[in-house]
Amino acid sequence: MTELSDRETDALAADYVMGLLEPADDAAAEQRLLSDDVFQRAVNGWRKRLADFDISAPPTTPTAQLWQRIAQSTKTDRAAVVPAGMRGATRGATLWHNLRFWRVTGLIGTAAALIFAFLAIGSITTSKHLRRDLVALAQRKPVYVAVLVSDATREVGAVVNAFANGRVELIPLKTIDVPQGRTLQVWTLWDRTVGPKPVGLTGQSRAIDLNLDELPETAANQLFEITLEPEGGSPTGRPTGPILFKGNTAKVL
Amino acid sequence: MNMTRDNGLDDRTDVALLTIEREAQMSAALVRCAAGDRRALQMIYDSEAPRMIGVARRILFRQDLAEEAVHDAFVRIWNGARSFDPARGTALGWLYAVVRNRALSIHRNEHRYDSADQHPEEIVPEDTMARLPETSALRKCLEQIERPRRDVVVLAYVYGMSHGELAGRLKVPLGTVKSWARRSLISLQECMG
Repeated sequence: MTELSDRETDALAADYVMGLLEPADDAAAEQRLLSDDVFQRAVNGWRKRLADFDISAPPTTPTAQLWQRIAQSTKTDRAAVVPAGMRGATRGATLWHNLRFWRVTGLIGTAAALIFAFLAIGSITTSKHLRRDLVALAQRKPVYVAVLVSDATREVGAVVNAFANGRVELIPLKTIDVPQGRTLQVWTLWDRTVGPKPVGLTGQSRAIDLNLDELPETAANQLFEITLEPEGGSPTGRPTGPILFKGNTAKVL
Repeated sequence: MNMTRDNGLDDRTDVALLTIEREAQMSAALVRCAAGDRRALQMIYDSEAPRMIGVARRILFRQDLAEEAVHDAFVRIWNGARSFDPARGTALGWLYAVVRNRALSIHRNEHRYDSADQHPEEIVPEDTMARLPETSALRKCLEQIERPRRDVVVLAYVYGMSHGELAGRLKVPLGTVKSWARRSLISLQECMG
């Protein structure tokens, strides 16, 4: 391939984004996009410049069957075949370092914790039986609680309780389907610069004690999450699978 | 809730904030798609499908073909989410590039001969310009380019017209269309940075 000047590269990028290239040139540009950083930057520049055209397109409701067809066409469970390699680890790290992501997650986590607290208080007035349980629970009252919520369904999946003596437990509130050859792994993010640390592993959703012995004392707003990993846990020491539930710790009142 | 509808500035501010929020959500959803989370794909669909159909319809006119393009786009999004890199570009930019790419492919391969003369009256570049937010830099910079040179950009990007189709519609030689396109894009870049 001949070296193109910046100007030529940019002109090519513009025509590519505009959709003005002939099929052969278009295919070549698509290939080039995969490996040429300069070209990629130029293409992104043009996509950004022209993006308002797409944003201002008049929305049209799709027919009800469209999602069904898409769901059918994307049915293969890629999660099961994606090798847990470096790429997955980097991807995990990208998300872990996305500040906005965690800000939003933190808010949701706090809200969920509040709802949980309200539910608990509400229950005390309605059920004597539950009250006795809650009193028993209060006697071993955790210092911090994290309510782990699914991003997609907003369902509460589990609670993490951190006690004054350093014990941390995970209590599932929902059955999680674990495919053959996979396992649930629990992570916590104590220090964003250090990254997520694995703290527990379980083949099925059941209450487990988490191992945070080698980590500093659990604090408020510390993130816990459950991911689906290959049997034996993530081989990279970083989350590689989909995040099922996550939430931040809140101090118990 | 009492929203004052005449306060255009506030409305636009909301739109800008919503776009930022949407971008963050789509970026996170794509990362989850790459990890095999199918619910993230549905989230993208729920959020973007109507506008994606809108983008595809301007190129393909027919609802069934537009849905075909969006279907193909989602298959690509699902299989190609790993190639999206948040550090290199916006999620929305990537998503809509996939949709346009699929729509253009259908337009060029299967719909080439009847599209150009099927609904020419529906294509009014000035109306398309008017849909752009008033604060849009794209709009401001396009307005500085004289017609019909500016129309080349709108007709090619929004309606997927090729150089040949543009020459036919604007009734000028192919070489003129190519030079208009080039000069308009250079003007746009100088104006928008």
